[in-house]
Amino acid sequence: MIQIENLVKRYDNLVALNHLNLQIEEGEIFGLLGPNGSGKTTAINCMLALLKYDKGSIRIFGEEMSPDNYKAKQQIGIVLQNVAVFEELTVYENIDYFCGLYIQNKEKRKKLVEEAIHFVGLEEYRKVRPKKLSGGLLRRLNIACGIAHKPRLIIMDEPTVAVDPQSRNRILEGIKELNQQGATIIYTSHYMEEVEQICTRIAILDHGRVIAVGTKEELKSMIKTGETVTVEAVALKQEHLQGLKNLPSVFEVQYEEQVLTVRCTGAKHNLIRILNYLQEREIAFGRVYSELPTLNDVFLEITGKQLRD
Amino acid sequence: MTVYKGYMYVAKKNAGMFLLYLLIFFGITLLFQMMNGDKGVSGYQAESLKIAVIDEDGGAMAQSLKSYLGEVHEVMEMEDDAAMMQEKMYYRDIEYVVRIPKDFYQACIVNGKKLSVTQVPGSYTAFYAEQQLNSYLNNARVYAAAGFTEEEAAKSARAAAVNVELLDIAGNAGKISDSLFYFRYLPYLFLGVLGYVVGSMVSAMRCGDLKMRMQASAVPRRRQSIEGLLACGTVALVLWGIVAAAAVLFYGKELSGNPGNPYYILNSLALLCVAVSVSFLVGSVSKGINSLNGMVNVVSLGMCFLGGAFVPLDVMSAGVKKAAQFLPVYWFEQANDLLGGYGLDMVKGKVLQAVGIQFIFAVAFVCITLAVVKRRRTV
Repeated sequence: MIQIENLVKRYDNLVALNHLNLQIEEGEIFGLLGPNGSGKTTAINCMLALLKYDKGSIRIFGEEMSPDNYKAKQQIGIVLQNVAVFEELTVYENIDYFCGLYIQNKEKRKKLVEEAIHFVGLEEYRKVRPKKLSGGLLRRLNIACGIAHKPRLIIMDEPTVAVDPQSRNRILEGIKELNQQGATIIYTSHYMEEVEQICTRIAILDHGRVIAVGTKEELKSMIKTGETVTVEAVALKQEHLQGLKNLPSVFEVQYEEQVLTVRCTGAKHNLIRILNYLQEREIAFGRVYSELPTLNDVFLEITGKQLRD
Repeated sequence: MTVYKGYMYVAKKNAGMFLLYLLIFFGITLLFQMMNGDKGVSGYQAESLKIAVIDEDGGAMAQSLKSYLGEVHEVMEMEDDAAMMQEKMYYRDIEYVVRIPKDFYQACIVNGKKLSVTQVPGSYTAFYAEQQLNSYLNNARVYAAAGFTEEEAAKSARAAAVNVELLDIAGNAGKISDSLFYFRYLPYLFLGVLGYVVGSMVSAMRCGDLKMRMQASAVPRRRQSIEGLLACGTVALVLWGIVAAAAVLFYGKELSGNPGNPYYILNSLALLCVAVSVSFLVGSVSKGINSLNGMVNVVSLGMCFLGGAFVPLDVMSAGVKKAAQFLPVYWFEQANDLLGGYGLDMVKGKVLQAVGIQFIFAVAFVCITLAVVKRRRTV
């Protein structure tokens, strides 16, 4: 559905997109994950032909994307980072207005607007003006304005920024539902949990380049870490650390301020093996955690820095 | 017409500001009209001073001079008493003293001796009185030199000095027409209202992600621009309609049958185009409503002050006038003043020239706006 090849976008000396390559298939919820400034929004703006780029090509629905490709634009819905609605209009009027940019038929539009209101759960607020809505409700309105015309492709640029957990869950569930209804979704975020939760495939961006792409399982399998075990309030000597490092599947041991962090490969029973080691040496310990690798670990291992650095 | 509707929604939000500007405009216009009152030629009166005359001559020429001064000033005969004269001058009971010497005609008129006067030091009124006095004496000297007798010279000098006739070119007897005030302040109304309302419309549509949403939509960019222009045109025409209706309501009698009416209309439409184009530019470069507000105030007040809307062009210095020529309001006021001050036949060409210059300004502002917008798009 979308093919991006060797996309380069520069802002003076800053290279925002550095030979970006992406292929997105129909029916996917495709996540663009990366820290702030990694080029997610620039990539989206180039896809929508809102920005001119220096090099490369973007094809959407099999056609070259350009500012004048209104046939393609007709089938795209956008939900941007900041809420973009008219303060002078009510919830209903806003959705109707933005739906009207795509659907001319009044009757059809009326039906679509009602569906969108129902979809985002703003039935009680249809006559309310945006400034009287909470942050979460505003975000929902923003989404409704972007999806009311039932587009084939929905591009969402960090739609859950500054949203309360309840609204966030509702939005994420809504995105899954839109996908089930047949829409392909491109979802950008720097919240890895969200991306993990809803995306069928993920591309991790850094410095304007795709550093890894695949399903979340594929991404996690790319790295050495299979499990991270953390043990608190433990008193260890250097020999113990060496002993832990010699355990099967352990590849990294860190010990700081009485907190032990052991990184293991994907093998089974890592936790039991570590706890047995401590018990056999009668070493007392406090709380114990075991974490499976996250996308942050993927990012960390590939780039050497945290996603939210 | 969805985009058009969007612009009009923003315009509706600014209806309050629209009405406020109208109120200010009508208020200022009425105030200045009232201050102007019914002053025409009949209302002109030269400033009257208290002048004391010590007449040591008493001849025909001395009598004539006293009568001449009495036409304008309050003239009183006085004894030759230095102490009393000083006291009266100190308390400003008199402002100027003329001493007519013995044998006045022979000494001062024929032989050109200077007339002795006493005045309050540094007083501007003294210059004023002296100017009139010299004017009379010069006339009398001319008649005397031409061989007139004292009586003849006295009679003729007085007649020549007071016979002033104003040329009534416009046929309005010097009266400033009330409608001239109305049209004079139009630039402030047009630039203020349209700057704010049209500026808000343009600014709202290009603020942040709303602009991106519009650009990413399926409505072609050209159609969006056309619908935007149409919306701004609608607001401008509504404003012009209100202004025209109010002009007919307030000055219908005065304006009916005026051959200059089509030119007034043309001039106001040219100004309207300028105001819309300036508003487009302001709306395109402003960053939010606060900056728009500031810019509209600076542009509207600045252009109106320098262009002669608030201060008549006649009283401006040559330098300011020269600089003001680079502002469209100057040309509007120029056309307006020409239409109000002279017969149409005399000024038709100049008025059309001023209107044309305004249209050129409007086109220039549109070009600047397009350049700004294009530069932003290519980023």
